[in-house]
Amino acid sequence: MNRDTITVAALWAVLTVIGEALVIGIGLFPAPLAEEAKIVDEAFEHLVILGVPVFTFVVSVLVYAVIRFRRRGAELEDGPPVRTHGKWVAFWFAWTTALTVAVIIHPGVTGLRSLTASHGEDPDLLVKVTGQRWLWTFEYPEQNVTTINELVIPVDKLVRFEVTAPDRDVLHSFWIPAFRIKIDAVPGLVTHTYARATRVGAFEEDVDYRVQCAELCGLAHGKMAATLSVVSQEEFEQWAKGRARVEAR
Amino acid sequence: MGEGARQGRGTVAMAAIFPVLRGLLFAGVGLGIGAGLAVLFTNLTGRPAKEPVIALGYVFALIGWLLGVGMWDSWAKEWFGGKAHIQHGGGVGRYFRFTTDHKVIGIQYLVTMVVLFLLAGIGALVMRVELADAGQNLLSPGDYNTAMSLHGIIMIAVAVATIIGGFANFTLPIMIGANDVAFPRINALSYWIVPPVAVLLVLTPVFGGFDNGWTGYPPLSVVNAPGALLFLLAFLTFGLSSILGGINFVATVITLRAPGMTWSRLPIFVWAVFAAALISFIATQWVAYALLMVILQRIFGMPFFNPPGGNAVMYEHIFWFYSHPAVYIMILPAFGIFLEILSHFSRKPLFAYKWVVRAFLLIVVMSFVVWAHHLFTSGMNSRIHLPFMVLTELISIPTGVVFLSALGTIWRGRMWLTTPMLFALAMVFNFLIGGLTGLFLADVPTDIQLQDTYFVVAHFHYTIMGGEIFAIMAAIYYWFPKITGRMYNETLGRVHFVGMTLFYNVTSIAMFVVGTAGMNRRVADYPADLSGTNLFITVASFLLAASFLPFVYNMVASWTRGPKAAANPWGARTLEWQTSSPPPLENFEHPPVIDDPYGYGSPARQPVAGPAYGAAPGSGD
Repeated sequence: MNRDTITVAALWAVLTVIGEALVIGIGLFPAPLAEEAKIVDEAFEHLVILGVPVFTFVVSVLVYAVIRFRRRGAELEDGPPVRTHGKWVAFWFAWTTALTVAVIIHPGVTGLRSLTASHGEDPDLLVKVTGQRWLWTFEYPEQNVTTINELVIPVDKLVRFEVTAPDRDVLHSFWIPAFRIKIDAVPGLVTHTYARATRVGAFEEDVDYRVQCAELCGLAHGKMAATLSVVSQEEFEQWAKGRARVEAR
Repeated sequence: MGEGARQGRGTVAMAAIFPVLRGLLFAGVGLGIGAGLAVLFTNLTGRPAKEPVIALGYVFALIGWLLGVGMWDSWAKEWFGGKAHIQHGGGVGRYFRFTTDHKVIGIQYLVTMVVLFLLAGIGALVMRVELADAGQNLLSPGDYNTAMSLHGIIMIAVAVATIIGGFANFTLPIMIGANDVAFPRINALSYWIVPPVAVLLVLTPVFGGFDNGWTGYPPLSVVNAPGALLFLLAFLTFGLSSILGGINFVATVITLRAPGMTWSRLPIFVWAVFAAALISFIATQWVAYALLMVILQRIFGMPFFNPPGGNAVMYEHIFWFYSHPAVYIMILPAFGIFLEILSHFSRKPLFAYKWVVRAFLLIVVMSFVVWAHHLFTSGMNSRIHLPFMVLTELISIPTGVVFLSALGTIWRGRMWLTTPMLFALAMVFNFLIGGLTGLFLADVPTDIQLQDTYFVVAHFHYTIMGGEIFAIMAAIYYWFPKITGRMYNETLGRVHFVGMTLFYNVTSIAMFVVGTAGMNRRVADYPADLSGTNLFITVASFLLAASFLPFVYNMVASWTRGPKAAANPWGARTLEWQTSSPPPLENFEHPPVIDDPYGYGSPARQPVAGPAYGAAPGSGD
């Protein structure tokens, strides 16, 4: 270990501490309002926390080298003719491979598994979602209710969304920012996703309670959004009955 | 000035652009023939005439343009028993001619691409004005979509063609000790295909614009305004140019290396272009199929992408089977540039050269097996999520080798902090952010939330703008003396560097913030609580644009009146610096001495030609 290596290591350590202090609990996302959101947010936080030392390592070497190894005046001397360094290359491969497997691939695989864990369960509620230019239709087959641009679901219940688009329409994507779920609406296909909301709330209080089209669908793509209300089971049943009565008339 | 002199100058200018004028005339004739055939055909079959007229008219106009601009005289005559004649020679006229000198073609590409880059940059500013506040401000939603789509596809073209078409064309043959590329006339053809692409794209607003983004996903791209047909034809034509360029550089590197220029002595930039050219000619055909299918559904109603029978997800697969490898067509040559510059300006051999070459070739292979990470939310079978996530994440290992080489090269070097070196160093930083944020998009759980948000926009701008465009800027300054024979202004170069680096980062980091906060991409409007950050991004983007003013001034002023450049102002060891600035027609007055391009610090090595280094800019550091 020589002086340069030690200084860079110290710089790296300091920058890493500062970096971690800045990113821990940074809360870039909207508040997580579903089970699925927690899994996504944990994965995000994990990648941020473990990405910081990688970032600070490269920055430390870069900054130190620019300060320490820039030439003085019009010096014409060459640097040392080092072409490679077997130990460093081996060390680098070992670390990048270990990091890739342990820090990136392993949590990715487990996160994916926990995200799809609920998919085998029997859902408490089925909502059929149709995206068309430029509105959302929500059909509740068990409740005999159909709404336009208004999604109401009960809290703490597993909801299965079956998403599609009319045959002659274009692609859309069913996205609820507060739940971190997103699945495309494809003409002629039925795609599906699940969510279990953890808190009641409504679009009127928080714009993240919305269904937003996330796949470019032409003119009014940016405005293709529906409101979302998460309500208690009782309220949901009442709402559904009321709507069914209105529609029956 | 006398009337005669003015007239004389006008005649010279006319003579200079005569091939272009003849090309336009032939294109007009072609347009007439094609459109006529289309009218005939649609009348007989009773189909609507508009799109067939555009498509067939364009195909014939393209053929007419190419023949008129010089393909007939210098090539096609031979096919009919005539004698072809290729015109060389100096003057400005050579840039408006079907000429086969790779250096002229390189300059044609570079100037075209820099102009397109600045135009598409103005497109981005127009979008930022609209996005400065929530609600509708400057543009109608349709105009916004057209501006957004044009910005996207033009920048993609710039990112694909600037390095391979521009820098590789100018420098690669010289770097391997060749007189020209393997297929000089195909090289000229691949350039002269590009102007029609630009014309088609600029004309799209006249035909109702196109609102499908650069990805052109059907069924949207099947049902929208005829402007989308122009976009599809432009993309298809550009792909042809890309394939021709790819074949040319693969063949050039394999067959035209000077005696003694072994594979293990190739400068890393040559390896990088070789790897990118392999992808370019293998992968581009796939996107051509996808685009052709959309055109066929538009014109003939073949139901590829709508039920019954059709499936829009299929397009996404075919499209990304090209377009993911395509990002490596963009970034591999950029890796080559910044490693090249880091080595020469650190006065040290490129660290772990052989590992970098292996990494490049591994990336070429792996780039073909990760495409479906763009489809995690597409509704494709979720069983394929896992393999594509893992394969994508494995690419960080060969990419890490590039960083190892960069850091190992500058470590204990004698760094000359010239403008190109500063841009190369900034690219290390930017691409680091681009690479790390890519992990969030490879990981399925986080990608489900972040897909189609501004997080993605910020990420790919960090890789392509922060990575590749910074490398292009480094390359422009680095090779400016070689290409123009004149020296750029170092102070203005540094002003450009500071402004661009600072404001680029500020702009894009704020995009990560709005993306995670829930702003989706490709929208002209967004929730009002994001308007503060969006205003910040807009202001920063205008400052970023302003940082290009010293660049443009520096380029124009230095090219016309800059001080004469020496043959080798950097004292660099690669072959393009061992000939005059600019190099003569067949590149070398005498056969070059082939030596190790990275033989810095070894007294036994041959000293490089050229003047004392001390006179070089950047010597005051």
